[in-house]
Amino acid sequence: MSVIDIIFRVDEICKRYDKYDIEKQRELNAYGDDVFARLYATVEADIDAAMGKADRAAKESKRAVTAALNAENRKTKARLMDEVTKLQKLARKKVKGLSKEEQAIRADLVLALPERIQAIPDGTTTGADQGGGWGGSASHKNITFDTSEENLNDDFFQQSEESSQFRQEHERRKLKQACKDEGLDVISDGLDTLKNLAHDMGEELDRQVPLMDEIDTKVDRANSELRNTNVRLKQTITSLRSSRNFCIDIILLCVILGIASYIYKYVCVLYLNSLTYFLLPLLAVFHLLSCLANTYLFCTCCSILQG
Amino acid sequence: MSSDPDKLVAKADKLTKLTLTRWSADWRNATLNYEQAANAYRVAKKYEKAKDAFEKASKGQEMLTSPWDAAKHMESAAALAKELGNWNDVADLYRRASELYVECGRAQPASDALGKAARAVEDHLPDVAVQLYTDACSLLEEDDKDQMAFDLYRALTAVHIKLEKYTDAAAALLRLGLAADKCNASNSQFKAYLSAIIVYLYANDVKAAEKCYNDCSQIPAFLGSDQGRCGSRLISAYSEGNVEEIKRVAQSSTITHLDHAVSSFTLLFLPRLLAECSFLPSADKCTIASPHSDGLV
Repeated sequence: MSVIDIIFRVDEICKRYDKYDIEKQRELNAYGDDVFARLYATVEADIDAAMGKADRAAKESKRAVTAALNAENRKTKARLMDEVTKLQKLARKKVKGLSKEEQAIRADLVLALPERIQAIPDGTTTGADQGGGWGGSASHKNITFDTSEENLNDDFFQQSEESSQFRQEHERRKLKQACKDEGLDVISDGLDTLKNLAHDMGEELDRQVPLMDEIDTKVDRANSELRNTNVRLKQTITSLRSSRNFCIDIILLCVILGIASYIYKYVCVLYLNSLTYFLLPLLAVFHLLSCLANTYLFCTCCSILQG
Repeated sequence: MSSDPDKLVAKADKLTKLTLTRWSADWRNATLNYEQAANAYRVAKKYEKAKDAFEKASKGQEMLTSPWDAAKHMESAAALAKELGNWNDVADLYRRASELYVECGRAQPASDALGKAARAVEDHLPDVAVQLYTDACSLLEEDDKDQMAFDLYRALTAVHIKLEKYTDAAAALLRLGLAADKCNASNSQFKAYLSAIIVYLYANDVKAAEKCYNDCSQIPAFLGSDQGRCGSRLISAYSEGNVEEIKRVAQSSTITHLDHAVSSFTLLFLPRLLAECSFLPSADKCTIASPHSDGLV
């Protein structure tokens, strides 16, 4: 058997044995068919509950809870005011078994209700209390306006000091407001200009975007071409003249220059001893060799530089 | 290489002339010589000779199948012609330059060249300027670069307004609106439409202005925009002859932010309109009685 089934069964049993429930019967029989009495009882219960909440709200330190309780009270008050109108209608209806005094008592009770409802504190100002009091008393038929003739002389309609002050205050405030309006106008003009400028700037930027994209692609292409060229250059240089060969070249150059200079010195010394006829051809050959070596090295250097 | 430009030019001429001894012209060296000579002339402020040298250099570049350089030289030649004040020459040279740019496949510089030409001659040969501007705009539109065309359209409108050809000016503004629509530049588009309405009203053609307003209102965004509201207020104020309203609308920021040529109507002609209208017995006759309608704005 599931939980739902149990609940239904329990409900059925309770309903059948309701007539033995003393509390409930007492409640139901208390007012019998009297709709007014029942409604009045519920309204009273609601008012008490609302007062309880208001007390709790006053004692509560947390603002959020207080605010929530106050809001609930406000809602309850609004609802109760509606119920009060219903009660008023019911109070006027004639009920069997009620005497005229009892009917008048009911009317008074209903009249007292709005005041009690408004008296429930809900965080708003207490100015409403007096309004409720006035509203309640206006329904009495005994009240009339007291228009005694003595007060309606000229002074009655003259400006008192207070009212003229009020008027001056009003004029001053109007002027200040006009100034503020002018200020706001100036601000609005400035904003208009800003808006136009911003729109134009936006469009200009939109114009520039495709141009920038074009520049971007072109620069990327140039960049990659440059990188390719650099790599090729490096490869050419290394293939043409690796560092090992370069060192050998330099050593050979030094050796040849050393030999040449030695021979030259030697030749100068010998020249004075007139044995040059023998050594001149040798000298010429060495000279030629050194020149060739120099030109060879020079050519390789040039080729490296030209890549 | 001698630095004397005359000698350079003579040398280059010799290189290009075909004789018995020379069977093919050496354009490379000739072009180099021409360029040097042209620069030297420009520095020496001999504009006529510089212009000729640039033209010859450009022809040389063409022979060397490099239209870009040829076009650049043509532009320099045209700029020098501007200094000299040969307006026809300016127009022709710039046109030739733009054709060369088109050969390179670059529409932007081509239209720039035409734009420069139009700006140079608009004071002296306004009709030619109009033609140049139109060609420049069509070049850009063919290449889908409408946004660059805005400035050209505005300049074209200014020229038309100066020539007092108001229908043409309005037509140009509507074309501007169309180009703006293609690029989703709604602010420019609405401003163009409002300017067109103003130009029609200025030409005292209320019907055309209303028709223009109705056409433009097909675009819902225009109706709700500042410019649309301004336009409707203007038309209603103008048809009622309500001078105060016209003055108020004309001083609003929407109108003052329009293109200078159009918003300058406000300053120049509103006082005249006010003066003319105040002498008439009723405000309604304002639109009919003054044939020179100083219209709006």
